[in-house]
Amino acid sequence: MSSDPGKLEPAPDSASLDEQLVAYLDGELDDATARHIETLVADDPELRARLRELGQAWELLDQLDRPRIEETFTETTLELVAVQAEAEAEDDKTREPRRRRRRQAWVGGTFLAAGLAGFLAVAALWPNPNRSLLEDLPVVENVDEYLQVLGDDESVDQSIDFLRRLHQEQLFVDEDRQGEDDHAP
Amino acid sequence: MVRDPREALSIAGKLPLVVSESSARRNALRDPDVQLMLEVRDDSAAAFEELVLRYQDRLVALLAHLMGSRDQAEDLAQEVFLRVYRARKTYVPGAKFSTWLFTIANNVASNAMRTLARRHEVRPEVHASGPMGANPMDHMALASSSQMPIRRLAKAETREIVRLAIESLGQRQRMAVLLSKFEGMGYADIAEVMELSPQAIKSLLARARGNLREVLAPYMERGEQPNLLKESTPEIPKSPSP
Repeated sequence: MSSDPGKLEPAPDSASLDEQLVAYLDGELDDATARHIETLVADDPELRARLRELGQAWELLDQLDRPRIEETFTETTLELVAVQAEAEAEDDKTREPRRRRRRQAWVGGTFLAAGLAGFLAVAALWPNPNRSLLEDLPVVENVDEYLQVLGDDESVDQSIDFLRRLHQEQLFVDEDRQGEDDHAP
Repeated sequence: MVRDPREALSIAGKLPLVVSESSARRNALRDPDVQLMLEVRDDSAAAFEELVLRYQDRLVALLAHLMGSRDQAEDLAQEVFLRVYRARKTYVPGAKFSTWLFTIANNVASNAMRTLARRHEVRPEVHASGPMGANPMDHMALASSSQMPIRRLAKAETREIVRLAIESLGQRQRMAVLLSKFEGMGYADIAEVMELSPQAIKSLLARARGNLREVLAPYMERGEQPNLLKESTPEIPKSPSP
């Protein structure tokens, strides 16, 4: 079946010919199909009679009653709608405090979440001066004992230099490896 | 009244078959009823009243022929207007206002018919809802004997026969016929209202008009009552002669 109601179909059967005749009367056919129908109708008296009867039956529908609406119908309809509008307004009134509370809770929650997110971001990015103090706490607690072992500031510097030289010369590398092997499982 | 096919064709030739969504929207905005509905959306009571006044006659007439009962038609028309009011805030002008309104009417009528069918309620006898009471043929016979003018009688008879012919159609055929005949809708608009394809509407209308032709043929050709009317009119028993 074609999706275009006005499309001409070749060799129409009785049902599709009826469709075309009715569509012709309704002015729903394109020019080419309408001309085709006109040719068929001109050549076929039976088809001409059918087209005339379809048209006459359609015209008879003009005889149907067209009921006249009384004024009370309009009034009742508008009253019904007014009652509906009133009910909607009442509903809105009872819903408004609930809606307002929900809106306030939502705004408060948003602020709280934003504050928390800001705090976490600052905490993660901002350098904490106490962190290095905490990391060095064991050294700070034992600084006097270390100084006793290492001596004054000058000897500390010298000791560190001495250890660096030892490291560079790699004198104890083999012993270190040996020690690691011993501890290996 | 048959629309002139040539006039319709000349109009169709000037209009593109496929219109874009934006141009459909622009066209819709030019519809004065769409403008009124937009005012209703902004809570204008005056605009709503104007829409009711513009459409109530058409809507009640359509529903009365569809349902076969004037009272039920008025109830359903009020339901349609109430739905229009309820849907005002979500209304988006996308088509002609009448198409939108009759889509709602079609849904309301279909629901009502389904409810009636579920309740196993039989539709009122075809004569009962008519303007002439339970038996129009009796009424006509009585009227003719009490000096009712012949022309008026013939007109009433024709009206009754046509009403019965319409009621002999199925619900969908009836709806398509009424929208085409009394609302002057094209296949595309009827398809939108009835949520079918234009091709389906073409077939539906062809079958409906074929049925009408068949039912009305005896009356049109020989002035005889259609078989349908003969079957539904109870015979008047002859009184025994004294």
